[in-house]
Amino acid sequence: MTGNKLRNLLALFRQRPLQARDKLFLVVIGGLFLLLAVYPLWGDSYSLSVMRDVLIMSIFALSLDFLWGQTGLLSFGHSAFFGIGAYVMALLTLKAGLGSLTALVCAMAASASVALLTGYFLIYAGVRREYFAIVTLALALVGQQILLSFANVTGGDAGLIDIPFLKFGLFGAEYTFDDNLSLHFLALVSAAVVLLTLWLVLRGYYGSILKAILNNEQRALALGHNTSAHLLIAFTVSAILAGLAGALFTSTQGIVTPELIGPILATEVIVWVAVGGRGTLVGPMVGCFLVIRMRQEISSISTTLWPLVLGVFFVLVVFVAPGGLATLVRSLTGSRFFSAGKKERPWT
Amino acid sequence: METILPATLNGLALISILMLVGLGMAIIFGMMGVINLAHGEFMTLGAFTLSYVQVLGGNYWVGLALAPLVGLAAGFSIESLVIRHLYTRPFETILATWGVSLIIQKILEMIFGSGMQPVFHPFEGSVVFMGVDLPAYRLFLVSFTMVVIILCVLVFRKSQFGLDLRAVIQDRDMASAMGININRTNSIAFAVGAALAALSGALVAPLVAVYAWMGVTFLSKAFFVVIVGGTGTVAGVAAGSALIGFLETFFNYTIHSSLAQALVLILAIIIFRFRPQGLVQK
Repeated sequence: MTGNKLRNLLALFRQRPLQARDKLFLVVIGGLFLLLAVYPLWGDSYSLSVMRDVLIMSIFALSLDFLWGQTGLLSFGHSAFFGIGAYVMALLTLKAGLGSLTALVCAMAASASVALLTGYFLIYAGVRREYFAIVTLALALVGQQILLSFANVTGGDAGLIDIPFLKFGLFGAEYTFDDNLSLHFLALVSAAVVLLTLWLVLRGYYGSILKAILNNEQRALALGHNTSAHLLIAFTVSAILAGLAGALFTSTQGIVTPELIGPILATEVIVWVAVGGRGTLVGPMVGCFLVIRMRQEISSISTTLWPLVLGVFFVLVVFVAPGGLATLVRSLTGSRFFSAGKKERPWT
Repeated sequence: METILPATLNGLALISILMLVGLGMAIIFGMMGVINLAHGEFMTLGAFTLSYVQVLGGNYWVGLALAPLVGLAAGFSIESLVIRHLYTRPFETILATWGVSLIIQKILEMIFGSGMQPVFHPFEGSVVFMGVDLPAYRLFLVSFTMVVIILCVLVFRKSQFGLDLRAVIQDRDMASAMGININRTNSIAFAVGAALAALSGALVAPLVAVYAWMGVTFLSKAFFVVIVGGTGTVAGVAAGSALIGFLETFFNYTIHSSLAQALVLILAIIIFRFRPQGLVQK
């Protein structure tokens, strides 16, 4: 009986044979990550730290792309889950003195439980699309407010510093990720594992179920899929990945600040996914890189300018490129690579 | 009595502010179906108008009269620049209005700085009622808001514009075929909603900290008021703001204020689950 159940569960992830575009995807991804793996050979320590932030943030971008791109649910306050992961990680390692691995699991579990609870009430009530976006936005706003008002625990506006680096024990030996090189590979491997896992899940049978829900939830329901349950699972998985990104980010940075949970980061992650093209997995990672580079350039001129640029970007993207910048690039160049063979679709 | 009466008045003040913002939100979101994430910024604009008038030496009443006019102007321009092109694309409206919200916040911050803006109100004293001192400003706020809301309901129910608006809400195409200028109706309705928000911003300004990003905290509350109450009816807005305002005041007196907001959010989410159509159905 349990064997049958396990087989049914595994069947959800059964794979189609590799097609030409899958091979192309793997080659491009492999090349990209190989390039990133040898990047420390010439990158100085500052560029390495920037690249590390980008890699960790790209896990965050992937988490939103998994939800928004694959199921159509847009979480407008996704930074809530990133922030929960970051603060739980920081508090558990710094104040409770827990080990890195336990704290990491707890951080992901905390994000998951918040998503599971809110998601249960919202998704099963039929809250979708713009309504879902509003309520999740409120989640990030309230989360930030709570952090700010419990300053004696969370450090308030200043946040917390001196958060310990990740430390893993393996075969009796203990390894700490505290230098540029090891942190770079930690971020690189994490991003690669998340990307490949999501890619495998999405190209398998489960990906087809999610795609069916994205295309027409009523039809998927009529075909016998428990769409609310699938959406809830996707939301929770997305929150777990966001929490993972948040926890990794704090332990590589050594600090947490309330910005990690606020609406600006929630906005930025949407921009990364929108710039890269939602539903493409690699696109949002590239978008993350481009936008973070752009933010650095703009912030070096003036720090208050950045939210203004974000605002203008949001207005423009709606009017100029309603399908994300990838569609714009695609229609300008006629390239089909980013589309992964899918048909064009509007933003929901 | 010493705590109950002032607490009730505080609750009523919050409820009436929420009703005013919620009414604007109900017109724009509940009736026109436009999700305007820049709605909070109309409040901020109202509060800043009052503050700026007072800094220039004007008195409270001039500021209070100017605030809705500024909101009206902002509403008109945003409607014609952004919203009008997106009536059939609700999802993109969210993104665009969020952009507008960020832009307004940052422009205000660039002009006025990120610090708190000074605001005063003309009611120094308090009114003694049943042996308890009640702040006069809150009494004024509650009664003034009630008058404004009754006026709005009358316009909506009795005037030609109200009839046009209700027709457009029911069926855009049919209303257009009957000779109603739907662009004009939508644009006026949006601007009036913005003016109501700006008015409530000016009214609430003496009671809260006036920052460039103050609108964001009211934005989510206003959405909860409309969603919890039920979209599209004035009674729904009243029920929603009464519930949210009561809960927040009650929790504020018993626990930490930001936990109170979290609890209100949680309760609102639970209410969604069991009454997805809102407390008051159409």
